[in-house]
Amino acid sequence: MTTTQHTAPTVDGTTAGTATYVYAVCRQLAPAGLSALPGLAEGFPVRALRCGTLTAVVQHVPAADFTQEAWEQRLSDRTELERCARAHHEVVVAAAAGGPTAPLALATLYRSDERAREALGQDAARFTAVLDRIAGHAEWGVKVSLPAGSPRPPADPPPDGARRDAPAAPGAGRAYLERKRGLHRAREHRHDQALRTAEDIDAALSRLATAARRLRTHGQELTGTAARRQILNAAYLLPHERAGDLAAEAAAWRARTGAEIELSGPWVPYSFVGEV
Amino acid sequence: MSPHEPVPWETPGPLSGPLGVPLVDLLDRLLSTGVVVSGDLVIAIADVPLVRLSLHALLSSVSERMPAPWADGGPL
Repeated sequence: MTTTQHTAPTVDGTTAGTATYVYAVCRQLAPAGLSALPGLAEGFPVRALRCGTLTAVVQHVPAADFTQEAWEQRLSDRTELERCARAHHEVVVAAAAGGPTAPLALATLYRSDERAREALGQDAARFTAVLDRIAGHAEWGVKVSLPAGSPRPPADPPPDGARRDAPAAPGAGRAYLERKRGLHRAREHRHDQALRTAEDIDAALSRLATAARRLRTHGQELTGTAARRQILNAAYLLPHERAGDLAAEAAAWRARTGAEIELSGPWVPYSFVGEV
Repeated sequence: MSPHEPVPWETPGPLSGPLGVPLVDLLDRLLSTGVVVSGDLVIAIADVPLVRLSLHALLSSVSERMPAPWADGGPL
């Protein structure tokens, strides 16, 4: 990243060398608390940009630091990736404190404020529909996991080993195959049960929600533990007054299935603004 | 304000958090969702390659900490 001093943007937002980064779109004229945030480019204020009836939350950023190559580099680096994600999130959360807010995908950039205004203005109807949909709602994340379980073959002869009158000495090879088969069956059984549990929990929670969405589950390499297996990673769009119901339903399923159910939220409805 | 400062998920008030969420949950939302509009400068980055890049960065940092997480044949 360059350390050169960047010229401060002018009022019309067309400073050479800067681009306009867009965090979110909302209706409130001047979301409070934005200017105190560093955003993605310290020294450039995070601010509101009026686009017709909507407000975009934007920041000038040094264009040279936000090229595709720069992004590729930035996002391949764990520390930078985290810094960007949290900075983006922080601005989105601040904007959403004042009313329904549609977050934009990470790394949405325009050449200038004018270009951003023009492009976002073309999507005004879509944004309005999104904002109507999420008004009065929050997103809740639900992650469900089960103990991974050690592959335990039946200690005694598997079902067909019960034929004691069969010719003696089935042989080491056959015993081995049967043990393998037992292991395989046990694993398949656990897999089926886990899938069914995930479906049941998702169906029950979806009934409380205005909308639901499955996110990809995190493998053990992402959860950082081999002891548990994530079977559901989902997001639910809930009216604010339903949050308690979700927690209660999750607790009931926790008790019924022994699954670990992790709730997170309230989130700005990231997962429910891209479908309109 | 430190971006790493954990904030309890049960914070009062609508949509005030969570700021202290695990990065992976945040990336689930920042990368694969959000309103996708075509920007001027980094169109390709707002797509799958970005997800892959970031996951790679995440995974490599996890595996430094935990060399062999697969004891039982992998996920499911």
